Amino acid sequence: MYAIAIHGGAGAVPRATLSPERERRYREGLEAALDGGYAVLEAGGTSLDAVATAVRLLEDHPSFNAGHGAALTRDGAAELDAAIMDGRQLRAGAVASVRHVKNPIDLARRVMEKSRHVLLVGAGAEEFALEEHFTLVPNQYFRTAERLEQLESEQHGQRVSDLVPPAPHGTVGAVAYDSRGDLAAATSTGGMTNKRPGRVGDSPIIGAGTYAKNGVCAVSATGHGEYFIRAVAAHHVCAAVEYRGLTLTQAVHELLHHILRGLGGDGGLIAIDREGRIVMDFSTEGMFRGARTAAGHREIAIY
Amino acid sequence: MSPPTLPGSIAVLLIAAAALLSAAARGAAPAPIALVIHGGAGVIEPAKMSPAREASYRAGLAAALDAGYDVLERGGTSLDAVTVAVRLMEDDPQFNAGRGAVLNHEGDAELDAAIMDGAGPRAGAVAGIRRVKNPIELARLVMEKSPHVLLIAEGAEDFALEQGMGLVPRGYFRTEAREHELEEARRAEKARAAATPTTQVGVASAASSVGTVGAVALDRAGNLAAATSTGGLTNKHRGRVGDTPLIGAGTYASNESCAVSGTGEGEYFIRQVVAYDVCAEVLYRRLTLAQAVHEVVQVKLRRTGGEGGVIALDRAGNIAMDFNSAGMFRGARDSSGRREIAMYRDIPHH
Repeated sequence: MYAIAIHGGAGAVPRATLSPERERRYREGLEAALDGGYAVLEAGGTSLDAVATAVRLLEDHPSFNAGHGAALTRDGAAELDAAIMDGRQLRAGAVASVRHVKNPIDLARRVMEKSRHVLLVGAGAEEFALEEHFTLVPNQYFRTAERLEQLESEQHGQRVSDLVPPAPHGTVGAVAYDSRGDLAAATSTGGMTNKRPGRVGDSPIIGAGTYAKNGVCAVSATGHGEYFIRAVAAHHVCAAVEYRGLTLTQAVHELLHHILRGLGGDGGLIAIDREGRIVMDFSTEGMFRGARTAAGHREIAIY
Repeated sequence: MSPPTLPGSIAVLLIAAAALLSAAARGAAPAPIALVIHGGAGVIEPAKMSPAREASYRAGLAAALDAGYDVLERGGTSLDAVTVAVRLMEDDPQFNAGRGAVLNHEGDAELDAAIMDGAGPRAGAVAGIRRVKNPIELARLVMEKSPHVLLIAEGAEDFALEQGMGLVPRGYFRTEAREHELEEARRAEKARAAATPTTQVGVASAASSVGTVGAVALDRAGNLAAATSTGGLTNKHRGRVGDTPLIGAGTYASNESCAVSGTGEGEYFIRQVVAYDVCAEVLYRRLTLAQAVHEVVQVKLRRTGGEGGVIALDRAGNIAMDFNSAGMFRGARDSSGRREIAMYRDIPHH
């Protein structure tokens, strides 16, 4: 048995505002990432490689709010956050506020594998990237015409989500279970459009936006990051499964529809348990998502 | 202004008196208050401590403990109590936070702090800041004056300026003792690199991580709060962020369960989401606070090789201070009359 699930962000995705052309692009991006990650598992690869592959493909796709095409800060720059976690020994790596690393998920993985640290931020993270022989890219690489347009609308008082979904909540992520029974999770984001420089959301925070623990579950979240941090969302789901014996479906439902809703936060998450069962749930209008299992199940969905 | 307030305050007094009387009539004890602090865990052993240094640490801990407790005693909030206690330890150069924080590989102090209000729960944190005198105050401003939880580096300092906070030059944080430690760490790193070539960065000794400061408090209204502040690891890689400013890892508070502040090898605390895990063990597995802290510090952290300790407090006023390192600078004071300052393992702490 092996399985993978991915998300490309949750938010207000009114059907009326999503043109067929745009919907097709989102679906194609999700399919490529889902199948890319799944191919790793099918070839006997690790869940860690599968989630890294899927997230890298989503980072490279301009429709999603991560890597190329990330949301822009109020200064018009992209500031990127990412995290990856290996459920085998609770190893983790994360980066926050990097501006010149093409694939933040690759740098997060390098932090996990080649440094003694878990989280590196800002210029120090980029210095580490150079020490590890990453090639840096100009910040302009991340900027797309669509994101600039969103930033301008946001700065002129129009709600972005009414124009192009799902800018405020866009984040990409993946969770996987491999044939050895190992779990892994990865998340990457540009954060909120028009955010204050230096603002860090839940994505790179282990336990908040990303968590994986063998024998329990793996989680990647997307949504209003500040609420996910306060609720320690990803770890909460795993703790509810491990300590209270809830099913993954129950644990995710309680978090999204009771705890986060009670705090006033919305969003979604994908999770996978120790038997490879997948849960994808959200409290927003929609969430870009996909799942594929060795049992032959394959789905891509938005609403 | 004054005429309406006089009857008002009399009414308040009457209500307060009535509440006290009815509490007395029911034989109920007044709501407990408590403050617990730490000044770091690590290689803290009698053999490595001169009487003068020991007295100096005790004095620093006592000053923070009593100032924070005074806030609670005067009816102040747990949030104010932990802020006051942590700020005093930030200003005390012998602790690894604020002035006297350890230095990174480039010789700068890079500071992290977080605060959490168990009543929200709401939280604020800052990381990688180099020019804010009291990081805990900036963390609190992030919680109270911004829609965010975590701000880092220049963006956080920019927010400090917007909030009217003055910045200090980086030299303010640097002390001779920390410069000496950095030199030692760099020498050791060079020696190690010569012996075994490795790409690993940020090599720092466990001894130098001693000194993160933190506090947890319970106020009369029954609200819990937690705060933590640190300079991180000596000779750390620029940009390295530990558990301190990460909600759930080094700092957590919820009125539903407990308040926790951690200190130790941050990377292990992050991966195990230590502070939140203590509270989850209490809330979901119905462990007592002492059992939960023991499980997390002595069993789970030990299993992965993570060294450090935590202080924790629940709404009943139960206090836990536990560590798997040689020692932990710590202090506790509560309304039952308990007041203690300790640093070694041989002193009972349950």
